[in-house]
Amino acid sequence: MQRALVVGHAVATVKHPSLHGWKLLVAQPLTTDGKNDGEPLLVIDSLGAGVGDNIVISSDGAGTRQLIGHKNSPARWLNLGICDPCASPK
Amino acid sequence: MRIAQVIGTVTLSRWHPTLGGFRWVIGVPFSLKALQKGKPDGEDFVILDQLGAGQGQRIGVSEGVEAAAAFLPERKPIDAYCACILDSLDVR
Repeated sequence: MQRALVVGHAVATVKHPSLHGWKLLVAQPLTTDGKNDGEPLLVIDSLGAGVGDNIVISSDGAGTRQLIGHKNSPARWLNLGICDPCASPK
Repeated sequence: MRIAQVIGTVTLSRWHPTLGGFRWVIGVPFSLKALQKGKPDGEDFVILDQLGAGQGQRIGVSEGVEAAAAFLPERKPIDAYCACILDSLDVR
């Protein structure tokens, strides 16, 4: 699991059927000291995270497929939780 | 899933027996700065596309195990799969 900053959201009507009903966030994964870590990712979200929120994302595709309930889902990154403003160095 | 912009298509003359009859597009991924400016800046790669993404469209690309998972139980040697075509992308 990794910390990430929500920098936006995306809307897609044409998509893999397993993604229907899931909100797509654009999240920038962060390193422990708050720097950008790689490219922004599309993260599926059911918690209603907004732009600017610090979230925790999981890269466990098998867990995501289990949660979605679709064994062929191409989704990997999943929003697990929204952090309160944490005391870690930003 | 990474975000990539479609810049072209690929036509295969020979292919792995399990990969016949698919459409292949070339996508260039975005870094955060590129996403804010709207112009992709990553390294292009070939993506298997079943949704019909057109030239210049931005797509969500699933990579690695999740790309091949889209075809389970069939086993296909692919590592990039177009999971969605983005209608709107709002990045601040």
